[in-house]
Amino acid sequence: MRYRSQRVAYPYFVVAMLLFGLQMVFGLLSAAKYLGPDPLLNVLPFDVTKVIHTNLLLVWLLTGFMGATFYLVPEESRVELYSVRLAYVQLWIWTAMGVTAVVGYVFRWTAGNKLLEQPFPLKIVIVIVMLMFLYNIGMTIRASGRLTTTEGVLVGGLACTALLYLPALFEFDNYTVSVFYRWWTVHLWVEGVWEMIQGALLAYLLIRLSGADREVLEKWLYVIVGLTFISGILGTAHHYYWIGVPRYWLPIGGFFSALEPFVFLAMAMYAYYAMRRSGLVHPNRMALHWTIGSAVFSALGAGLLGLAHTWPAVNKWTHGTLITPMHGHMAFFGAYVMIVLGLITYALPGLTGRSDESRETSVGFWAFWLQVAGMFGMTMAFAAAGITQTYLERILSIGYLETQLKLQVHFLMLVATGAVFTLGVALFLWDFFFLAGRPVMAVPAPADATPAGAAVR
Amino acid sequence: MTKRAARLFFFVSTLLSALIFTVLTIDSHRQFPKLTNAAAIDERVVAGKHVWHRENCTNCHTLLGEGAYYAPDLTKITQQRGAPYLREFLKDPSRFYSEQRDGRLMPTLALSDQDIDNVIAFLAWVGRIDTQGWPPRPILVRGSAVPGVPAMLGVPPPQAASRDPVELGRAAYNATPPGCAACHSIVPGVNIVGPTLAGISATAAARIKSPDYRGKARDAEGYIRESILDPNAHVLTGPTYAAGGRSLMPADYGQSLKPEQIDQIVAYLLTLR
Repeated sequence: MRYRSQRVAYPYFVVAMLLFGLQMVFGLLSAAKYLGPDPLLNVLPFDVTKVIHTNLLLVWLLTGFMGATFYLVPEESRVELYSVRLAYVQLWIWTAMGVTAVVGYVFRWTAGNKLLEQPFPLKIVIVIVMLMFLYNIGMTIRASGRLTTTEGVLVGGLACTALLYLPALFEFDNYTVSVFYRWWTVHLWVEGVWEMIQGALLAYLLIRLSGADREVLEKWLYVIVGLTFISGILGTAHHYYWIGVPRYWLPIGGFFSALEPFVFLAMAMYAYYAMRRSGLVHPNRMALHWTIGSAVFSALGAGLLGLAHTWPAVNKWTHGTLITPMHGHMAFFGAYVMIVLGLITYALPGLTGRSDESRETSVGFWAFWLQVAGMFGMTMAFAAAGITQTYLERILSIGYLETQLKLQVHFLMLVATGAVFTLGVALFLWDFFFLAGRPVMAVPAPADATPAGAAVR
Repeated sequence: MTKRAARLFFFVSTLLSALIFTVLTIDSHRQFPKLTNAAAIDERVVAGKHVWHRENCTNCHTLLGEGAYYAPDLTKITQQRGAPYLREFLKDPSRFYSEQRDGRLMPTLALSDQDIDNVIAFLAWVGRIDTQGWPPRPILVRGSAVPGVPAMLGVPPPQAASRDPVELGRAAYNATPPGCAACHSIVPGVNIVGPTLAGISATAAARIKSPDYRGKARDAEGYIRESILDPNAHVLTGPTYAAGGRSLMPADYGQSLKPEQIDQIVAYLLTLR
């Protein structure tokens, strides 16, 4: 950490981690409900626990992205943040919005549109927070007059995130049209502009952790983001199957979705070669784990498991089955959860004034491997359930309810592996809150104290 | 490749993709009215859509295959279960399902009658959206489109294999619409929502001779035809068959089915043992 204002990232990470922990509670609750009967049926039914589970994910990931940006931008632009106070105000409003949303869902205050359930007034708050955030970042970059490619891609991704939230503010009487535009937000976030954010954070971490040449890494960052948009924008079509849109979206969706694994493969190769060339010298090995993990898990979860059901002839049978959460869980974890945890792990020693080696704790490694193992198991449980469901319910036309009863063993597996994952998350939180130390008040390290290879080029 | 070339690649490919996407979006808008039967979106459908969102339905159910996976897909539900049943179901789901038997139960939502009618109107409109042939086979809440056929024997094709009226009737019985198989099984003793139709010809022949029979049928064939066209001609008492003395079976098959389709379904049902 070189700039005092980077410290503002710490409270963002605190909020993100608390919400991450809460997300696990609601995830486990939702999974347990698959086993039925549900003692909380009339208090906290599935729709409520599920909506809280997914919304907490979105909110804490965005909190993590914002914290990461506040950490990264001063360093890249070599200037203090425009306004630390504004960043704190923004965090308060944002957290209040998140808590209100969660409490609101419990009392059934919802817009009822999948992943965009935030009631309209809260959507306005989200837009305001986004604007505050972009203003703060924009003014910082303007003051310094220096914008690196990595930072440009990151801020571009965040600005597009705000822009693409706008369709969510409109309501359409035609349900098909409303579904059509819902994907402009949801798909173009997670398979478009958030990948810009992931790519930029990955590039930043690789530059810092591997000491690889910035020019080379940033060149390939452009290529990766370009490939993301070639496959991602027209790949929106894979959400336009069977919902009342023209037929040409089917072949377009099939073709461009088939390109998506290449993007993630490119990203994984990118990380691998950067690390290999520099020989993995960085002392913060936990951050290395999360960074490489993100590249590998997003290639598996978002790339391969996405392709597993985006071909129209396959999707005709799997559409709307548990195959979707199979892909969704691993994709979100690999692409976004791991990269945010990676950045937090990387930034923590600087924020708390400890050495990079201090991150290499056995708790940290357990947190990593339990999460990896748990997520792998959950993906397998969803896959087994989804394939069985597709065969029994969709191909043999056996009733939904009878089919679900036959999936019980996979739901047991889901709960068990979900518990393993939650244990990994609990250890990460334990490490973050109790072992990593408190943030330092003064800026400890002069600029030349970082490893030589990691110096800003 | 230089960094400059990489940047150019990024900007050109992104702009080009966005341009194609925009053109296709505009064209989709041109086609939405026809594909979604938009002329049929009236106040009730819009009000029903609000109920759908307000009650957070999409976070348990899927609609058009989109939503959550904790409860059945509802795309074709009004063609499978019909408004009389859905009205009673939405008033009190626990009358029809139990957590002990089915593993899951929908909470009672305390909807007004108006809300219920509106959400049914909304679902009926959704059911007529052109989904490009999806789902390829009916997605049922309970039961089976091919009751009594062990999975290992394979599934009879959903389309009729010949022009034989009985075969055509079998295909129609299992199709959605009319969705007969969504409520009636053909396995003895298995009652889904309506009574099983196993051995219906013998049952019907006995039933018309019973003193409390109120319909006009003279033989089994007439009884089956009457039950399809006018479910209230003779209402059976069963746990989920009727409410307030009225049958929960849709009463509009006389309009929605062609006369020869009804003949075929009757011919098929007469063969059930």
